[in-house]
Amino acid sequence: MGDYPDPDEEYELMYADELAMLREDEDHAEPSVVKKKPLPAKRSLDFSSPVAKKPVTSNFANNAPDIITNSGVTESTDISLTPNLQPLEEFTQVSNKRTVDELFGDIGDIDFNEVELPSKRQKTEEETDLELIEKILEGRRLKQILLEPSGRALGGRSRYNAKDNMSLDIPRWPFVALSNSDGDRVYVRIESEEDWENSLDKGMEQMSLHASYASTWVEARKILEDKQQKVISEEVATQPLPDMDTDVNGNMLWVDKYRPQSYLELLSDEPVNRALLHWLHLWDKIVFKKEVKTKEPQQRTTFSKRAGQFQLTNKWKGKKEDQPELDDDGRPHHKVALLCGPPGVGKTTLAHLLARIAGYRPVELNASDERSTDAFRNALQSATLMRSVLDSEKRPNCLILDEIDGAPLPTVELLVRWCTATVTEGKKKAKQQPLKRPVIAICNDLYATSLRPLRPVALVVHVGGVSASRLSSRLAAVCAREGLAVGAHVLGALAARAAGDVRAAIQLLSFIKARAKTQLSMDDVENVAIGTKDCNKNIMQALQSIFTTNDREPDAILKTIQSAGEYDRLIDGIFENYLWGGAAGRLELAAEAVSWLQQYDVVSAWTLRHQNYSLYATLPLCIARCHSLLATRTPMRVKFPLQAQEMYRKKLEIESIVSSVLRGSAPSVSVSRLALVLDVLPLLPYLLAPNLRTANVQLCSASERQSLRTVAGAMCEYGLQYGQHRAADGLYVHSLEPDIYRAAFFGTEEKVRLTPAIRQAIAREQQLEVIRRSEEMASRVPARSNATSTLAKKSNSTTDTKEPSTSKDKEVPLPNHLQRLQPKVVKKNTPQVHKDFFGRIVPLSQVQRNDPVADVISSSSVFYHYQEGFNNAVRRNVRVRDLL
Amino acid sequence: MSLWVDKHRPRDLMKLDYHKDQAVRLKSLVQQSDFPHLLVYGPSGAGKKTRIMCLLRELYGSGVERLRQETMTFTTPSNKKVEIMTVSSNYHIEVNPTDVGIHDRVVIMDLVKNVAQTHQIDSSGQREFKVVILNEVDDLTKDAQHALRRTMEKYVATCRLILIANSISRVIPAIRSRCLTIRVPAPTESEIASVLQLVCKKESLNLPSDLATRLAKAADRNLRRALLMCEACKVQQYPFTSDQKIPEPDWQQFIRDTATMILSEQTAKKLGEVRQKLYELIIHGVPPDMIFAGLLKELVRNCDMAMKCQVASHAANYEHRMRLGNKPIFHLEAFVAKFMAIYKKFVEESMGDVF
Repeated sequence: MGDYPDPDEEYELMYADELAMLREDEDHAEPSVVKKKPLPAKRSLDFSSPVAKKPVTSNFANNAPDIITNSGVTESTDISLTPNLQPLEEFTQVSNKRTVDELFGDIGDIDFNEVELPSKRQKTEEETDLELIEKILEGRRLKQILLEPSGRALGGRSRYNAKDNMSLDIPRWPFVALSNSDGDRVYVRIESEEDWENSLDKGMEQMSLHASYASTWVEARKILEDKQQKVISEEVATQPLPDMDTDVNGNMLWVDKYRPQSYLELLSDEPVNRALLHWLHLWDKIVFKKEVKTKEPQQRTTFSKRAGQFQLTNKWKGKKEDQPELDDDGRPHHKVALLCGPPGVGKTTLAHLLARIAGYRPVELNASDERSTDAFRNALQSATLMRSVLDSEKRPNCLILDEIDGAPLPTVELLVRWCTATVTEGKKKAKQQPLKRPVIAICNDLYATSLRPLRPVALVVHVGGVSASRLSSRLAAVCAREGLAVGAHVLGALAARAAGDVRAAIQLLSFIKARAKTQLSMDDVENVAIGTKDCNKNIMQALQSIFTTNDREPDAILKTIQSAGEYDRLIDGIFENYLWGGAAGRLELAAEAVSWLQQYDVVSAWTLRHQNYSLYATLPLCIARCHSLLATRTPMRVKFPLQAQEMYRKKLEIESIVSSVLRGSAPSVSVSRLALVLDVLPLLPYLLAPNLRTANVQLCSASERQSLRTVAGAMCEYGLQYGQHRAADGLYVHSLEPDIYRAAFFGTEEKVRLTPAIRQAIAREQQLEVIRRSEEMASRVPARSNATSTLAKKSNSTTDTKEPSTSKDKEVPLPNHLQRLQPKVVKKNTPQVHKDFFGRIVPLSQVQRNDPVADVISSSSVFYHYQEGFNNAVRRNVRVRDLL
Repeated sequence: MSLWVDKHRPRDLMKLDYHKDQAVRLKSLVQQSDFPHLLVYGPSGAGKKTRIMCLLRELYGSGVERLRQETMTFTTPSNKKVEIMTVSSNYHIEVNPTDVGIHDRVVIMDLVKNVAQTHQIDSSGQREFKVVILNEVDDLTKDAQHALRRTMEKYVATCRLILIANSISRVIPAIRSRCLTIRVPAPTESEIASVLQLVCKKESLNLPSDLATRLAKAADRNLRRALLMCEACKVQQYPFTSDQKIPEPDWQQFIRDTATMILSEQTAKKLGEVRQKLYELIIHGVPPDMIFAGLLKELVRNCDMAMKCQVASHAANYEHRMRLGNKPIFHLEAFVAKFMAIYKKFVEESMGDVF
């Protein structure tokens, strides 16, 4: 037998299997997993109150045999009466087109008739509630004791209360008389020193009693355990051991052996099961050509209210009123269901089981198969477009993609295209058929990067961890079948240790069994090295435990820290919370704690700098030390560390301002970054805030205009400018870019903010300054040649004076930096001789006679130029510098 | 029309206002054919950069003042591109390798090699070496400093380095020994005052000598700050009065406020508030060691002699640890917490003595 029974057999035997198992079990007088949850066999049974059935589970261990016979009998008789089985027979004979009602009963019934719900579940919920209440009460009592040790200690000394020791009359015992300001006299008892010592001793004793509380706790637990042990061993002695080799498939893993075989055996939360099943049934229209009953939204909401944890995301809840669950083609809106949850909670089992229940043949594709794009496309095609030939019933396939978070991104994208593209292109392309079979994808990490494209199109179903109580009851059933004698509290511990992981718990059980033990004690559970869930405690839990004293296991903190990992985040968390914790009142403690944070910082920086991880193991010790300093018994709200990141973000903002100033500033002012931050930027706003009257710039005095120009010049040097922004109130505001006010001031920048008018004036002046400078740059080339020529003249004159001394240098070429360019002597133009056509020289007087006219036009900067058709008016060369 | 700081910066070694004998020596250094690597160090605002630019002008002539700004790109071994801004002329290139953080080694190796490996085409016509100026050498990582020491020797024929640092204590000895170290001490207050007077005279303003000394005092022997403050004073109010308010960098005020806060109340709650202030300072880019120094200076005013020693030694200790670590805020807060604890005890004891 593989993971699952053969599909064709299994289909008929879905219930027959159970019957057979029941009978088998009766023979062995062993409790069966199935029977533990009596089927809601007849509707008439459903009104039975949970209380009536309570003993079935609670006293399960003790009187299992007779209950089994009872329930077994009723069930076997009942099942034949259920309507479910009749259509099954019909089905095998007549139709291969099955209907939901036929196979599973009306799914609508299951969804809506709460009465028909397996009453077992309700019961367990109630039970857990009761348990929880008890637990809470117990916990409160313990806490009371822990929190007020002094209260108890004082209780012993209560005879020294004030009334006994003071009196208004003259007492008989030795006393001291006191009188207050009103003149009332009070007599206070005096005690001998021995008496006092005695009382102190008593107090001390009590205190120490409290201190050894932990050890007492251990003792008490031991006693309890011994008692349990005794009971069990007696039981074992009286009961004949069930023979071990009845297990035909002895080599089967327990996980497979006790895999749920029917809907009712599923351990996952009811809403989860239903959500998936409902989705599967939505496919009925297109797969089985059968009309699907879509649910009334109201009923769904009531249902989810009842469940309280209807964990459907993906906007199903939000959209269910306006969005039909089926699209135009009659397919569900979400083409893919995405199951996600921690490992070992039964996602794969759930998918397989529900697919079979809904009448499909599950086809699994997991990480062990090749998942390249091609292979995946083949698998998709074969699974969704074809159907098994060998299968006698011709059940349609249901593709289950296990461990899809490990699949490469292209593969997931292919799947998404497969699902979505068919919606739009399905009609055009005959080649590619729309997806007509349900696809269930399973993952651990919903937020894996490769799943990003899949999430929006998929129906996301969260499968949470199994609650400890349900897990332990299942474990009890397994133990009973395997002949392990285990106390309830041991199973509880086992379940708690597994932390919702069914697989781990059952494997651990099987491991212990394999060590040839017939009974299990607390030590077995606690001492096995394996089976601890590789739990990643989240950071908040770890932080919380750092700040609370743990009396039970003082050494557990190190483990908690290590399992939380992310020491940096933890350290940040401690840093942000310690002032409100144990160190609230005591500065020495705070100083000590911070010094350990320092220690951490130094070690971790060293580790990172040298890439030498030999000291890495000491980091959690620093945190543990903080725990021992800061832990208190009073509960405290721990905040998630956000401050450091927030600060880092702000720092980056200001750094970017500084860098943009650095980059924008002219090369001539280049200052180092630090000097800019510390000296220039803090003072620059003062320099850029001249005292001006708010008047038109043209009306300013010369000194004001001068200061305005200085400001504009400085702004150009440092690459600042006023930009116009539309403020929230719709007005345009001039603001400095980059905003050096933020970098310079600590929230007091209003000190030197300018009025809008002045800002505008400065902005205008600065733009003018920019133009002026570019003009200067443009005109620099001729200007420089002038300058060099004058320089050259100077150097000439200097060389003239030093002629005799530098004569030797004439041979040695002068270094570049000492060389000066020689002005090129412009030759004077000899007056051109005009020649006429025949080469005869024209006398000068004749030529010049024509010239004056031409000269007037070319030399004057104003001239008229007549063009045909229109007048081009006056043309004049205007330079920018003339306007400034 | 630029700021006074830039406008009145001396361009020539002979026109420097203070440390004149040093200027003479520098000038004679240039005239020698042999020009060594230099390590110029001194506090911020003492005039290191000014002297170096004068020196370069002496070496190459006025061509070094034609500066251009360029962004260079380097590729780290891990294929990350880092950009760094350089200021260069035809004769020199200036760079601040610490801008790229831990990748400074790549910048130094590539840049120095690039510059050094290009020989002058006509070496007879000019100086046969170019100059590379590296800023903030004391903040270079150890790796970068070690990368530097080999390149310094290897390319000495074509390239000279001028290193600028605030303090040489964090420059590895190997580099120190390869350079001629030149210390540029901060100007004295009277020197600053005279420079201020000079600048005001050039601007044809009248600066009262009282105000000049006050400015010099407030500027903490930092000439750049003094000049900026002086100009800010002028912008705010002219004609000067000797008792006018001197604007000063906001962060200094902020540190003083923080210190007052610490002294006012010693509780965990106050410590939480102080932390926010410290964070603010760090955000605004004030280096944590300056925060330490500023806090210590303010805090010890209220301590007796024995406690002064204690507090100072704690501050030194914590500042050292901060340099080893990564998160300055822990160390700052540790110092504040320690001080609060000590101070509270001290106050309680002295209160006890009174009664």
